[in-house]
Amino acid sequence: MVSSLKAYGSKRGHKLKSVRVFHVNSGACNGCDIELLDILTPFYDIERLGVKLVSTPRHAHALLVTGPLTRKTASAVVRAYEAMPPEPRIVIAVGTCACSGGIFYDSYALYRRIGGSMFDVPRRGGISELIPVHIYIPGCPPRPEEIIYGISLLLELVNERVSKQYYKEESLEDYKLTRRKSPISERLKYSLREKTRHIVGYFDRDRVLEKFLEIVQMAEKSENPRKRLSELIDEYCAKEEDSRVRECLKILERDYWRLKNALLSREEVIYWI
Amino acid sequence: MVRVITVKYPLKEAKAPEEYRGIPYIDPQRCIGCGACRNACPPNAITREIDLEKGIKRIVLDVGRCIRCGRCEEVCPSGAIKLTNVFEAASRQRENHVEIVELKLLRCSRCGKYTEFTERQVMLALEILPREVLEVEALDKRIWLCRDCRRETALSDAVDKEWKWYYGKLVKSIWE
Amino acid sequence: MVSLETEHENDYIKRIKEQFKDKIIGIRKLYDDQWLIITEKDYLRDVVRYLADINSSTEIHIATMVGSDERPIRGKMSVTFWMNVIESGSSSFVGIRAYLDEDDLEYESIAQDLPGADWYEREIHEMLGITPRNHPNLKRLILPDDWPEGAYPLRKDFNYSESPAKFPGYSFTYKDSSCAIVPLGPYHISLDEPAHFRLYVKGEEIIGCDYKGFYSHRGIEKLAESRLTYEQVNFIAERICGICGYTHSTAYCQAMERIAGIEVPERAEYIRTLLLEIERIHSHLLWLGIASHLVGLESGFMDAWRIRERIMWLAERLTGNRKTYGMNLIGGVRRDLLDYRKDLVMKTIEKVKEEYTQFVEKLKSNRSFIRRCEDIGVLPYDKARAYGVLGPTGRGSGRKIDTRKDHPYASYKDVDFNIPLYKDGDVLSRALVRIEEVLESIWIIEQLIDSMPGGDIIAEYTEIPQFSEGLGYTEAPRGENVHYVMTGEKNVVYRFRVRAPTYANLQAVPKMLSGYTIADAPLIIASIDPCYSCTERVTIIDVKSGKRRTLSEDEFNMLSIKASRRRS
Repeated sequence: MVSSLKAYGSKRGHKLKSVRVFHVNSGACNGCDIELLDILTPFYDIERLGVKLVSTPRHAHALLVTGPLTRKTASAVVRAYEAMPPEPRIVIAVGTCACSGGIFYDSYALYRRIGGSMFDVPRRGGISELIPVHIYIPGCPPRPEEIIYGISLLLELVNERVSKQYYKEESLEDYKLTRRKSPISERLKYSLREKTRHIVGYFDRDRVLEKFLEIVQMAEKSENPRKRLSELIDEYCAKEEDSRVRECLKILERDYWRLKNALLSREEVIYWI
Repeated sequence: MVRVITVKYPLKEAKAPEEYRGIPYIDPQRCIGCGACRNACPPNAITREIDLEKGIKRIVLDVGRCIRCGRCEEVCPSGAIKLTNVFEAASRQRENHVEIVELKLLRCSRCGKYTEFTERQVMLALEILPREVLEVEALDKRIWLCRDCRRETALSDAVDKEWKWYYGKLVKSIWE
Repeated sequence: MVSLETEHENDYIKRIKEQFKDKIIGIRKLYDDQWLIITEKDYLRDVVRYLADINSSTEIHIATMVGSDERPIRGKMSVTFWMNVIESGSSSFVGIRAYLDEDDLEYESIAQDLPGADWYEREIHEMLGITPRNHPNLKRLILPDDWPEGAYPLRKDFNYSESPAKFPGYSFTYKDSSCAIVPLGPYHISLDEPAHFRLYVKGEEIIGCDYKGFYSHRGIEKLAESRLTYEQVNFIAERICGICGYTHSTAYCQAMERIAGIEVPERAEYIRTLLLEIERIHSHLLWLGIASHLVGLESGFMDAWRIRERIMWLAERLTGNRKTYGMNLIGGVRRDLLDYRKDLVMKTIEKVKEEYTQFVEKLKSNRSFIRRCEDIGVLPYDKARAYGVLGPTGRGSGRKIDTRKDHPYASYKDVDFNIPLYKDGDVLSRALVRIEEVLESIWIIEQLIDSMPGGDIIAEYTEIPQFSEGLGYTEAPRGENVHYVMTGEKNVVYRFRVRAPTYANLQAVPKMLSGYTIADAPLIIASIDPCYSCTERVTIIDVKSGKRRTLSEDEFNMLSIKASRRRS
């Protein structure tokens, strides 16, 4: 069993530059399978790298397996694996379900070997429970470029970009440095953060909130913060093109004063946190 | 004139759009080890290990199990875990998909045992607690104890000479 | 003893009450359009049959059938048939339920009268152990063949992650050890299984068909009932199907929002509708590509998928991923539509419209495409109604049904659109329905972008009532999608039942196939738009000579492509 085409090629005395692949679906939702069909279309065109889809595993160098390995397909996958010629029996797991079981990892309908704990690191599951896997391509579903990257890894055109990361905390100093001291209380910041999420969503939340807090910090320095804040927000909104961000900033301004007054007067108010 | 529409990847760089949900990454300087991401993750790609003997807590992220839904980013209180733009995560070994962040647990000043929450969690709590309502001295006594010691010293106000102050008078420095 | 809901009762409930008087134990109104009738198990068949035949001019079909193990709650199991009663302006879902005692889990089968109830009863038999008496064909449907008897996965005392079966194996059955074995097809397994479709033929003509599937049964319902919390079920629902996943996620959210009484902000509904229509366009373009490929038009395949790429790129900019958008949470959506994203939608839709109209012109004027698709796979209207066929397959046979118009959800009541309807019931009608639906979707998206309101995109909620039930429904590209949800305690769903539209459509395939040739079979099977991995292997058995041959998908599809070349 070889894990790279170069090794297989050097054993044989020649270079192996093209791969014939056979696609096996072991119970997938079809998302990964559609993306595999997509890389055959002219935009991505995996055939220019020398990859050809064949219709029987007896002619294949590699298997492209998708799906979390359900019980009903388990024996079919084994038969397809054994139908491949003995060298090089390469298996590529496409998609998160094939790499490690995905969101279905411990269902009764999946094939899993007994033993080990479900909290092992790295997480267990997927088709590696049954057949040896050489390349793992995670993603749900992986982009066509991601699949091309995985196959290029097999053809040794690119290098690996991910590696194991381990961080060990030495002292509390690492953490303290990242907290800035600002006149705005953390409590207010968390409440405003939730409010922003309700208006523009989690993706743009931090960007919009940063902008708002910068303006507030400037306004708090002047003698009449309320008036100054209102002026600064209007000035900023005149330059901002996006109407949703403008709407969000105005709502945050109102909420900021409401929460700040409540904090100072120790009133009962509804917090978002 | 024939227009070529095929992308030149992997011979040329390809960048995903900025809105793309790529693999997650935990910023070790911001993580406080609360485990909110672990509760929210649908396929359990994030796990937490607590070692009370050595006093460490580990947050372990496995990118090969991740379905890239973004729930961890949504619920993280300190903005530590974020979904990056990276989509090139293919690898030959599954070990390369793992990220471990190891943090220190809080050590009780009275009994010396390790508690279940990390030092960073206490620091964050101190920053959020309302200064108008609480006193520095009272907080400094109680906050560095484990739950059992807090219960036992709840009635008496005294601070024993044998208490070991691993953290010094940190509350004042944070609250200034 | 009947508990009456006298106000706003619809006509059908009144008539059922009159007909069955004291055999009805109770009637409950769950929501404005969902009613529940509780009856004795001996009269279940009569009530369902009465409702199904109540009026031959309205469209009534089985929406879903739920078997639930309610022993922890009230000591009994329940069987509920939900019927979708469609009337313009006041459609409703009427559920007919019977409770069964633990030691007497039988009831009279309804598949004897309604052919559309066939698979539901097979499923309830192997997942819960409830037996429908006198069922015409009670075989295994979903679970693997080596699953032991007596282990019922959906019962509450079955652990979701333990499996009683060992490694599934198949054995070769050799009739005569001296004959040579020639391996056919890619999987090289015994000649008996696992073919998806088994066609019985006489020469070239198909006389019967058997289907065996559910290879992608992953235990989603059981997972949602044990390991996942309310918010996490959104993500597993999205991965039920990789082509129409967002409709499943929306249907679940709508069921939960109905149960909890959450009011979704208007802007969130508009965003959901926008993404649903984007998904519809991409799914129909995918189908048009596959249909062209089967007819032999390879350039049509490439053309359709090239147009589809623009939609995938648009979805990536809007939601973060080409498929599995992950945009739903209970109470709203997760990402907003900022201005620059709105402009992107408009630009993409304009380009797609232009390229698509050109593509359709070419397709419609292609005589070989029209001639291949005409008059094959005909499903007449009465059969379509009896089987409860949905979506473009149903509309191609003359059924005037569309969940977007009958039970308006999200913001479909605010936009204007038509439903294409054809009466012939052949493959060409279904293709034309899909072609026109794409244009309607483009029109809907233009209206949505023009009139999108402002405001929040997600609503807060504090409490969800325990042990309450409700239905959520959407119109997927393949038909009507119904989710039944019953909430439980501790943030975990008690019963989650998904009924995808292909479930109902596949039951009508044998009727569609009989009388046509083998070369037409790939196109007929593809015309209901099943999930792509359904037709991986096909076995063809000649009834007269007893010969059987097994073909892989490529070989099977080549039969259709070669026939096109011969005929044109």
